[in-house]
Amino acid sequence: MSVLKFTKTHEWAKIDAQTAVVGITDYAQKSLGDIVFVELPKAGSVILQGKRFGTIESTKAASELYAPLGGEVIEINKELVNNPQWINESAFEKGWMFKVKLADVSQINSLLDENAYEELVAKEAH
Amino acid sequence: MELKTTPLYQKHIDSKARIVDFTGWALPVEYASVLKETRAVRTSCGLFDVSHMGEIRIKGKGALAFLQYLTSNDISRTTPGQLQYNLFLNENAGIIDDLMVYNCADSFLCVVNASNCAKVYQWLVKNKSNDVQIVDESETTALLSLQGPFASCIIEKVFAKSAANIGYMHFIEYSFLGKKIIISRSGYTGEDGFEIYCNNQDAVSLWDSMVAEGRQYGLMLCGLGARDILRIEAGYPLYGHEINEDTNPLEASLEWAVKLKKEFISKEKLCRMAEAGLRAGLRRKRIGFVLLDRALPRQGYPIYRNSTAIGEVTSGAYSPNLNVFIGMGYVEKDYSSLGTPIAIKIRDTVYNAKVSSFTFIKSHTKK
Repeated sequence: MSVLKFTKTHEWAKIDAQTAVVGITDYAQKSLGDIVFVELPKAGSVILQGKRFGTIESTKAASELYAPLGGEVIEINKELVNNPQWINESAFEKGWMFKVKLADVSQINSLLDENAYEELVAKEAH
Repeated sequence: MELKTTPLYQKHIDSKARIVDFTGWALPVEYASVLKETRAVRTSCGLFDVSHMGEIRIKGKGALAFLQYLTSNDISRTTPGQLQYNLFLNENAGIIDDLMVYNCADSFLCVVNASNCAKVYQWLVKNKSNDVQIVDESETTALLSLQGPFASCIIEKVFAKSAANIGYMHFIEYSFLGKKIIISRSGYTGEDGFEIYCNNQDAVSLWDSMVAEGRQYGLMLCGLGARDILRIEAGYPLYGHEINEDTNPLEASLEWAVKLKKEFISKEKLCRMAEAGLRAGLRRKRIGFVLLDRALPRQGYPIYRNSTAIGEVTSGAYSPNLNVFIGMGYVEKDYSSLGTPIAIKIRDTVYNAKVSSFTFIKSHTKK
């Protein structure tokens, strides 16, 4: 049974015991507009919680992506690089970015749950 | 400072446009999707509100001579009912603005960039002679741009066949429900299209008529985001990106809009450069380029040849019609030939590209 958590910078993490899949939220893709470029971390690289792991560019601007959780990147969504529009079409499914092997499971406690994230979005939208 | 709005502002809000501050104007950057809007203009039709553009009318006995002296293209080659792309130059052959000049028989209408309108007006007033009157009509003029392969069908439905049959770079004065408007076959997309000038109070009814007739042709409302990609695909320069007061028309690859047989400000400087040979006389040259990798070039990114910096990006975009990343920039003239391999540094990575023709998309404007 996986758990869905969020960052204040609009990334999501689907956590399943020792691993998590990461992407950006539907709210984020809507605010960015048409996404035309995504740069992902390399498989095998180590990322740190809260640090930049990549860049996303829409027709409007470039934005940094921040890691919800730290650890080793064990798989990336290679096809996404050639099909960045998948993030617009399906932010939580086809638009997944990479899978990370968690360095420290307790980092999960600093993430937002669905209710807290919805509150954040409601505030930002006004 | 409060943003200026066009007479169509409420229409854009009602259509759920994303509004941005574009040089002091509240304008739609996108309605549904920049990429869908960009594709619509190449395949069906798009409608843009570009009422922020400036319109300055030059009247009086000396109007032609006055304009001829301040611009590089030869307006005497136009006849009434024609428009021409032109450049206002300063004493150093720097570009003050690029513009369209409409030959209205008894006057000339200069359509200038919104961001430069006040500057151009002051420049004209400063240089004017007594037999010239300068009237800034921007505040009362709205401008709609209908672009795409079905634009002429919509123009025929809304107006008449005679309007749809205007030649490229020609215009007519037309009476629409008793209101005087200008219909011009022109645009900033590289597609066939029309630009319609009207008084502010007539803009909404014109907009609504075109939307209603356009529906059957797949018309989409288009914002500034699509306008920018379309003009890059067509290789058109944008003031503040490819051209400014520190660029001259020859290095900007706009020599076709420079007529050295007429007298004009800074002509001597341009003659010296041209005599030395268009390439030899210049330090740098505007180029188009295509990325060989997936990466989005933006203004200011450095251009390299091997490990040497040779220039800078001025515009870049993902082209949804070609499915590649394209751009324009300046490079040292030795690297400006078509096909030259170059590289663009984006953040920490260097991406391969090659020098390309400006017309990334074959132009479909009427001849």
